[in-house]
Amino acid sequence: MSEEFETHLQELRRGTVVLACLQLLRTAGYGYGLLEALEQRGFATDANTLYPLLRRLEKQGYLTSEWNTAETRPRKFYRTSPDGQRLADTLTEEWASLTGAIASLTDDTTSTEEH
Amino acid sequence: MTTTLTERYIAQAVKGLPPETQNDVRAELEASIADAIEAQLEQGEEHGDAERAVLTELGDPGALAAGYIDRPLQLVGPKYYLTWWRLLKLLLWIVIPCVVGAVALGLAISEASFGEIIGQSIAAGIAAFVHLCFWVTLVFAILERTGADTGAEWDVDQLPEPQSTGTGRADLIATLIFLGITVGALLWDYFIGFIRVDGEALSLMNPSLWPAWMTVLFVIFAIDIVLAIAIFVKGRWTTAFAVVNTALAVSFASWGLTLLGREQLVNPEWLDFVFLQNGVGEEVLRILAVLLGFGIAGFSLWSIIDGWLKRRKDALR
Repeated sequence: MSEEFETHLQELRRGTVVLACLQLLRTAGYGYGLLEALEQRGFATDANTLYPLLRRLEKQGYLTSEWNTAETRPRKFYRTSPDGQRLADTLTEEWASLTGAIASLTDDTTSTEEH
Repeated sequence: MTTTLTERYIAQAVKGLPPETQNDVRAELEASIADAIEAQLEQGEEHGDAERAVLTELGDPGALAAGYIDRPLQLVGPKYYLTWWRLLKLLLWIVIPCVVGAVALGLAISEASFGEIIGQSIAAGIAAFVHLCFWVTLVFAILERTGADTGAEWDVDQLPEPQSTGTGRADLIATLIFLGITVGALLWDYFIGFIRVDGEALSLMNPSLWPAWMTVLFVIFAIDIVLAIAIFVKGRWTTAFAVVNTALAVSFASWGLTLLGREQLVNPEWLDFVFLQNGVGEEVLRILAVLLGFGIAGFSLWSIIDGWLKRRKDALR
């Protein structure tokens, strides 16, 4: 994608990472694993954005965390809290209504062009 | 004892964090970085290269730490920028002229040399500028970090009104009345006298100014009146008007300051009668003379600036 669009694309993507995290962490996950999962699902995120974001969401009460020391490498696992699930539902609804709104925009343009 | 790049990186990243979160963030970062390096190793990278790549990808540890504690990475952000800028401009406009004027006045009263007055005033102006910029910005940087509310919200009442620029009837009338009273007072002072001693007028203005110097002053006033009428008729300030206005202000200032400097402006007998005989010393008279001189210079300077500001405003209309 050309560089001049990059800032606009970033603006548009901002916030989608939060939603993606909340949805993915309905099943518990840890930092690097989540980073990879996001990437695979098309939400490419920088590690230095994601790690602080997880802590912020935890501080705001949308995620809970737990240290898993059973394996050789102790990892901090995050899980979406009930509050986080409500937030995720609200954001998802908003996203759906935005999708509809944007679709109607493009529909309008095509119908205007037809005149 | 060797420390790995990762250890150094993490130490740097958690350094600024609150102590109670440091260990947790450290442990989490260690795991995350180790995971990332492992993933690179699986793709056949060498350990040293993998570590470098992972840490480079993570970026400046300072920025990472700022992300963890939610600290703004700007001195004054968009929330406060406009308030900061408006306040700073306002304060600069008010404070610097006051400081420069006060320093110049103080030095002039204490009989400093002309060069010293200029030099010290400029130095004081620069110092005031630096201080204002620093302290105002510091306050806003603190506001930015504490998230306090400045209480300065914009509302429509702040929209500047289109300013009438001295082109109105009121300004012409004001000029005429002001100059009329001045001329009347000068004539009264000379012919009748505000103070009469033994039935004779004791004029405030030096009688030797009549007729030559006073004629010059009245000519300046006459041109002032013509200018005011011309501006009223034309309805706007032009460059020519501003130039004439500047010339008039400079003429008036040099008229007053020259006479003041030669001690010819005020009647020495009047000074003697009013001040010296009442126990007011020479020193006080000198200070009064300096104040009067500043008054004349300041008035003229303001008139010049005012003329050009009005011209600029009218040019924009």
